[in-house]
Amino acid sequence: MGGPTSGPGSAFASREPILLCQRLSKWYGAVRGVLDVTLELRGGLTGLVGANGAGKTSLIRLITGQLRPDSGSVHIAGVAAHKPAARRLIGYCPDVDAFYEEMSGRAFVREMARLCGYSAPEVRRRTDAVLSRVGMTDRADRPIRGYSKGMRQRVKLAQALLHDPPLLVLDEPMSGIDPVGRAEFVTLFRELADQGKCLLLSSHELDELEKLTDHVVIMSNGRVAAADTVSRIRERLVSAPLTFRLDVQRGETGRRHRQLAAQLLDRVPAIRSLEVSEPSDLVGRLLLQTETPQAFLAAIHTLILEEWYEVQHLQAVDESTAAVLEYLLASRR
Amino acid sequence: MADSNAKPVLLHYRGWRGTLHGDGVAATFGFLGVQTTLFALAALVPSGLVRLGLLAIFLANFALVTRSRAWPIARVALLMLFRRRLFWGLYALSVMVFLCYFFGQYLMSWAQGLLGESEIRVGGVTRVQPKWLLETLRDTLHFNGSALTFRDFFWFEANTVMIALAFSGAVLIGNDLRFGSMAFYLGKPITTWHYLLGKGLAVATFLNLFTTLPAVVLWLQFGMLESWDYFTEQSHLLLGILAYGLVLSSSLTIVLLATAAWLRHTVPLIMAWMTLFVFAQAVSTAMVDGLRFSPRWRLLDLWNCTYVIGNALLDADPMKMRPSPQPAVWEASVVLLGVCIACLSYLIPRVRAVEIVQ
Repeated sequence: MGGPTSGPGSAFASREPILLCQRLSKWYGAVRGVLDVTLELRGGLTGLVGANGAGKTSLIRLITGQLRPDSGSVHIAGVAAHKPAARRLIGYCPDVDAFYEEMSGRAFVREMARLCGYSAPEVRRRTDAVLSRVGMTDRADRPIRGYSKGMRQRVKLAQALLHDPPLLVLDEPMSGIDPVGRAEFVTLFRELADQGKCLLLSSHELDELEKLTDHVVIMSNGRVAAADTVSRIRERLVSAPLTFRLDVQRGETGRRHRQLAAQLLDRVPAIRSLEVSEPSDLVGRLLLQTETPQAFLAAIHTLILEEWYEVQHLQAVDESTAAVLEYLLASRR
Repeated sequence: MADSNAKPVLLHYRGWRGTLHGDGVAATFGFLGVQTTLFALAALVPSGLVRLGLLAIFLANFALVTRSRAWPIARVALLMLFRRRLFWGLYALSVMVFLCYFFGQYLMSWAQGLLGESEIRVGGVTRVQPKWLLETLRDTLHFNGSALTFRDFFWFEANTVMIALAFSGAVLIGNDLRFGSMAFYLGKPITTWHYLLGKGLAVATFLNLFTTLPAVVLWLQFGMLESWDYFTEQSHLLLGILAYGLVLSSSLTIVLLATAAWLRHTVPLIMAWMTLFVFAQAVSTAMVDGLRFSPRWRLLDLWNCTYVIGNALLDADPMKMRPSPQPAVWEASVVLLGVCIACLSYLIPRVRAVEIVQ
């Protein structure tokens, strides 16, 4: 069982990876969905995080064979993902809540089991087993219309587990679930991972995924910005240089931005470069590259409060690193 | 998460030792091949009895459809439809047309037995001559179990069927595309062709409930009222009814799937469907009957195209078609085929792309 590896140079272990994405790209006209993603999963729990529009859903749809890549390939245990045979190896729990509201949860899961190609007795057996597994046995005969968000998530999860797939792709599986339900889901996911299954869970919240697993894939702008354990990503981020752009009011003297630059040089360690420019009479611009972005953010925070610098714009220029940083910082708040 | 007293049996379980059904591509083509052969043989054999036997096998074979991988999709779609009151309201309207024919044929059979009497009392209200009643039922309303009976029956069902299809399009397929339910289907080991086939089966079943099934019941009823020889002597009519039903099912299913995949929402779908079948019919009627233009203007009306083809399949007299004049059968066939090809050429790239991203 191993976590994700990313990048063209990932070395394969002896066992065949359950999920293998190689240089995967998908464009929607001029819009980039996924760009040059290489990802390899061999088991266990892996989180997929990223902001809205980062490419999580596109990547999931490529993995589940609903979309075909423009370039690159996706293989599930050696089978091309777009082939129906690959879907025998994937359990997919979509993020949409588009059920047939008049049906009961049991009827819905049963119809999904029929689509898997099982005989009638096996359909019944599997339906009962998965509903029991997700704790829905006693509520499965009620119409879906009356289900809470958490019950809907359980039914969605049940239909994904029907054919006992080695790879489970779960899109926002814990959204809308109460804390008790979350704890139950966490237990279930861990059990599934312990049984040798590979789970890929997408979420907006890193801290939620951190409770489940260290392994995360952070996506930004269609690319994999980082793929490793959360602690190792943090370690690497500490030494990774990051460039910030800072627009500051020049003040009456016209030199306030230069004063800020001098103070930053004093306070922030490991500044690699600092460029000062005056794009207008009112605004001064600093372009600063540092190996200690968290120290820089702490320093700028203090200086704004103590020295009353009027900062108009603060932006990390390196998007991928910024996205990782944003997630890591958000998870620590 | 599992129920406290229930030991999970699936995910710690023994491997399933059964055989999964295959993807069914070979079986589907095999089924279509067998059905086409049976139908062609039924059309070619001179003996009515043999023809009936072949058609009975042809109809019985449709039970195999329930074993198809696409059937669960059709089943869910039909169940969703049957739960709607609107469907039953429209079906009741359609049944009224059927009952009109059913009791009309019965009335005619009853009147034939009273030909010797000078006057008969009808419905406890009025008295009419049996000869006049018979002429009305046979020559005007065609309640005589002939090809015209079944052709007219299909024609009169047009409006109800069109409204029902317009309303059901969104339920059958539009909502899946609109709300993203397709993701559940496409996450399972089926292809998008299975999905389309399943939805097509649902539309075809739905359509045949309104048209072919009641027409076959009328054919059986007339045989029972008339004589057993009717079944063998008029077996070509059963063949014609089934062929007419197949033309209707296949063409309208393709058109509905394409329009529902394109428009998705109920109201635009109804508007498009009404334009296709009501507005086009009004325009063609105005052009041909009002302005005396070429009867080819009637080709604008797709239901009329199926009517012209159905008339030929039932081997009914083309001069007795109402309204008349009508375009040639080959012209109607070309138009219907063209529309189907256009719809399929829209559906195929959509199916292949499987773009469910909004």
